[in-house]
Amino acid sequence: MRPLPDWLTDERETAALAAMLSPDSSSSLEALAAESRAITLRRFGRTMTLYAPLYLSNYCSSGCAYCGFASDRKTVRHRLEPDEIRRELAAMKKLGISDILLLTGERTAAADFDYLRKSVEIAAQEMQRVSVEAFPMSVSEYHALADCGCTGITIYQETYNRERYEALHRWGPKKDFIDRLETPARALEGGIKSVGLGVLLGLSDPVEDALSLYRHLRHLGRRYWRAGMSLSFPRMRPQTGGYEPPFPVDDHLLARMIFGFRIALPDTELVLSTRESATYRDGMSGLGITRMSIESRTTVGGYHDTDKKEKGQFEIFDDRTAKEFCAALRKNNIEPVFKNWEPSYNGPSTEGNNATIHSLEAKPCH
Amino acid sequence: MITIELNGQQQPLPEGSAVSDLLATIGCDGKSVAVVVNEQIIRPDNRSAHLLHEGDKVELLIFAGGG
Amino acid sequence: MDSLQLGSYTFSSRLILGTGKFSNATVMLEAVRASGAQLVTIALRRFNREQAEDDLFGPLSAIEGITLMPNTSGASTAAEAVRAAHIARELSGSPFIKVEIHPNPQHLMPDPIETFEAARILAKEGFLVMPYITADPVLAKRLEEVGCASVMPLGSAIGSGQGVATAAMIEIIIRESGIPVIVDAGLRSPSEAAHAMEMGCGAVLVNSAVAVAGNPPEMAEAFAEAVSAGRKAFRAGLMQKSGSAIATSPLTTFLGTY
Repeated sequence: MRPLPDWLTDERETAALAAMLSPDSSSSLEALAAESRAITLRRFGRTMTLYAPLYLSNYCSSGCAYCGFASDRKTVRHRLEPDEIRRELAAMKKLGISDILLLTGERTAAADFDYLRKSVEIAAQEMQRVSVEAFPMSVSEYHALADCGCTGITIYQETYNRERYEALHRWGPKKDFIDRLETPARALEGGIKSVGLGVLLGLSDPVEDALSLYRHLRHLGRRYWRAGMSLSFPRMRPQTGGYEPPFPVDDHLLARMIFGFRIALPDTELVLSTRESATYRDGMSGLGITRMSIESRTTVGGYHDTDKKEKGQFEIFDDRTAKEFCAALRKNNIEPVFKNWEPSYNGPSTEGNNATIHSLEAKPCH
Repeated sequence: MITIELNGQQQPLPEGSAVSDLLATIGCDGKSVAVVVNEQIIRPDNRSAHLLHEGDKVELLIFAGGG
Repeated sequence: MDSLQLGSYTFSSRLILGTGKFSNATVMLEAVRASGAQLVTIALRRFNREQAEDDLFGPLSAIEGITLMPNTSGASTAAEAVRAAHIARELSGSPFIKVEIHPNPQHLMPDPIETFEAARILAKEGFLVMPYITADPVLAKRLEEVGCASVMPLGSAIGSGQGVATAAMIEIIIRESGIPVIVDAGLRSPSEAAHAMEMGCGAVLVNSAVAVAGNPPEMAEAFAEAVSAGRKAFRAGLMQKSGSAIATSPLTTFLGTY
């Protein structure tokens, strides 16, 4: 078993964040909110970039205990064919969406790399910005995706607690903790311009996971210093499979995390999805979150066929339309941003080709 | 006699002088000094063997205070 | 053990002392001893027969535990700096080189392009390159990429005594850097050195503030104490500073109460 890298356990790196996240922290939630709001306003202004997920396929080869798409679930499996993808994209464009996240399960014969690459190609013809949340790939596969117009990769570690990780990922390619941990670096080596990291809150001790997540991001940031970075805070919701999160995260702790990360990482994009309620998302607008999903459908083909009764990967909590959501943002004095990228900048970044900081030892200077 | 250029100034020397002879002539022997002859660094163990020729550009450098 | 790592070298002192501008060599050597510095900068000069300067190499190397770090001052191009580095290594036997290239003798601001080029060449040749730079976070990462042992952003202009005027940029450099960040130039008082260390600098380099003090050895000692205090404070973890007043209408009411 390969050992954990040193950077993942370096507590000095996270001392300041740990102090903010501690339940007996000297900073009140209100004080953190004020600080976080000031930093967000200074760095991002009164804006919120918006994206929507597009589930390409729910085939999956992994046995993640918490996921509605795990390979032992009785869910009906299908994947979108090219004409169906175009149909979904057209429906999404009608909603104003131009920044999308393409999703699949773990690699299967039904939804393999070639399928994903072709889907990216189709999406990049229609959309301004295309990101992918799928399965771990090789450097050359990431390079090929970047060539087709993919600019971002989202890959969550789910939990940084190795024991919990190995117990939760019952079988399949996702079982290898270290390989998963090294995936974002491979994406950046392959010329992907930005990576999104996250933990699935509820699976393990949330503060421990948050601190490890921070170290992972800082490690990548030092080594791939040209890369864009984003962090998400998905909380476990009831879903297909009926998995009850053993470490539920309440509204207050999630807020403390968002504020703490914003203060510790003034420049990083912080993402909040429709897993959260309308009230929570409206409340967080302007306080630290800078990117939100809208109009999410977590079923395959859910944009065209809006009456679908089948269960998605998780339940949507904020099911407002784009129009309703934007009205709420504007009421908060925040401008919704649908286009924040120009496809003429697509293509692999120079990160992969240029000299990067190859000392794997790149570590904080203390 | 030959004439060399020492730190930008003319310096006469007997023909057949080695670098070590030059250092002795100007009272620089035994000191920590770097010698560069025509852009080539001459290490201490080569200084008695390295002969100087007419027109050679010689630089002698030492360490001084600096920040 | 909290030590400063530069290449394969380990130092317990985080104060680097410059040896210029002192009234005489005796005072300078006293100040070096009082500072506890283990890394000391020196400059290359042409030997001058008429005005036989004290040779500093002998007496400095005689102080126990001192490693010399020659600089390339006087160079205004990368080629000149590389040449100076070769000569300096020959003379000192030290792998350290402070790359310092300032084409303008008035303000002495470092040339980022020539500095990058010289650093790239010298790092490849195996030097432990310590580039003196403006406080530019991108330049700092580029220098790290080509293998520098540290980066040395200026706190303010050389000899200006304006302290860490570039603090906002230096904070970014420290946050992003995988190699030690050493504030070089501009520090006037020990409190400013402590400030730099509290921010997370790996070390500070001080010269003028000690050299032109009323009592240089005493000032050197004061800087040494300030540097350790600042370092200790950084390691202990400073309390969070709140830059924003708490709003009169609370921001977190949407969360409800427990």
